[in-house]
Amino acid sequence: MRKYQNTSDKLIPIVFLLTILILWEAAVNLGAVERYILPSPTDIITALIANGSDLMMHTGTTFFEGMTGLLVAVCLSLIMAIVMDLFPVVKKAIYPVLVMSQTVPIIVIAPLLAMWFGFGIAPKIFVVVLVCFFPITVSLIEGLQSVDGELINLVRSMGAKKRQIFTKIKFPSALPYFFSGLKIAATYSIMGAVIGEWLGGKAGLGVYMLRARHAFALDLVFASILVIVVLSIGLFYGIAGIQRVMMPWEKLKEEEE
Amino acid sequence: MNTCQNKCVLKVSGVTKEYNHKNIIQNINIHLNQGEFVSILGPSGCGKSTLFNVIAGLLLPEDGQVFVDEKEVTGETGKVSYMYQKDLLLPWRNVIDNAILPLEIRGIPKNEAREKVNAMLPVFQLEDDGKKYPAQLSGGMKQRVSLLRTTMFSQEIMLLDEPFGGLDAITRMKMQAYLLEILEKIKGSVLFITHDIDEAIFLSDRIYIINGSPAQIVKEMMVPIKHASPEEMMTADALRQLRSDILKCL
Repeated sequence: MRKYQNTSDKLIPIVFLLTILILWEAAVNLGAVERYILPSPTDIITALIANGSDLMMHTGTTFFEGMTGLLVAVCLSLIMAIVMDLFPVVKKAIYPVLVMSQTVPIIVIAPLLAMWFGFGIAPKIFVVVLVCFFPITVSLIEGLQSVDGELINLVRSMGAKKRQIFTKIKFPSALPYFFSGLKIAATYSIMGAVIGEWLGGKAGLGVYMLRARHAFALDLVFASILVIVVLSIGLFYGIAGIQRVMMPWEKLKEEEE
Repeated sequence: MNTCQNKCVLKVSGVTKEYNHKNIIQNINIHLNQGEFVSILGPSGCGKSTLFNVIAGLLLPEDGQVFVDEKEVTGETGKVSYMYQKDLLLPWRNVIDNAILPLEIRGIPKNEAREKVNAMLPVFQLEDDGKKYPAQLSGGMKQRVSLLRTTMFSQEIMLLDEPFGGLDAITRMKMQAYLLEILEKIKGSVLFITHDIDEAIFLSDRIYIINGSPAQIVKEMMVPIKHASPEEMMTADALRQLRSDILKCL
């Protein structure tokens, strides 16, 4: 019964998505919408295959920017969260600024970055770092602060030093939080790189989309969107996979329940 | 009554602790002898855990001292072992690695610590569960592991803060018998917090009643029949008398 429930749970979104795609395809083919305004799903797939090698090259650039930015953001977040956790004064000073910084639209910052760092790869990576840094840091700090106070008292009663409490208790406890932040950041990373590229550059999906749009090749724009979506979802599940490998005990908990 | 007969391992003398300018516990005087099982019995939330935190060195009392083996240790951690009602096991470590935590903190290499724990597993009837994770254990089993970890830190003085409070009645009875069995083997001295009168009578050699606001030790009682059988618990006159004396103090 439970198994049946699980498969039907997975089927529901697939059926829903398929229905939308079929309606979309039908609407375009029946002439309800002009093709140059909205290409049909099959048009998009055809364009994707026809321009496969071009898309691959640009995807590679975007992926590289996204991953580099994500990696830098992870390192910065780790340092930041640890410092904020060890020194509450630093947290009090920086945390509100961090939240404030997130209210500035990234689309406004990006052109400035291009002014400061040129049209190379650096401003793109910078945008990715800006987008990814916040969710990772916030969830990591939350994780570090939500450790059971009694647990900390227990290890303190054993005579543990601050460093031991951090490495043996706090950090491992915060790992699930860290990963949920990382999953969000990973999906943002590709989007961040594309926004960076949108403002100009030599390669990348953002640049490619811009060119396609100027040529009114909407099928190619949609094909690029498809690549971005697939890439982001892939990253999400990739991180989830790493999480499962690094934290096998979490799976045990689910099985027991 | 207040003199130490055997070797006195723990002495709390005149401890007062306040919180927000209000005394929670006041002028507490208790002692624990080697190999003794002493309960501190009182209503929930009266400051029993505060007293334990002072003894464990986590809180600094406004007044009074704590002595371990006749040496003052007020405000010093790492002298006594402490077990909570919550099992507080680390979900990312298996049973063995949870139990080595206190040894690790003391700086003993992991492999050596694991060997020590492995040697203790049969005593705790956990020999088949060493590699299991906490998520795979029942509530009673988790408390066994928690007790094992507590004894790995120190068997000299163990503070047990309502360790079976979160368990159902049947599991709790089993755990009480289990605790006595373990203590028989490892000869530890235990200070035990509870609000359950029968639990205190069954387990203890001696009982302190703590009550009031601020909480004070209102009475100290000897348990006439040690580890009474369920039948004796119901019928023995001495225990009935003790129970009614305790109730009068609460």
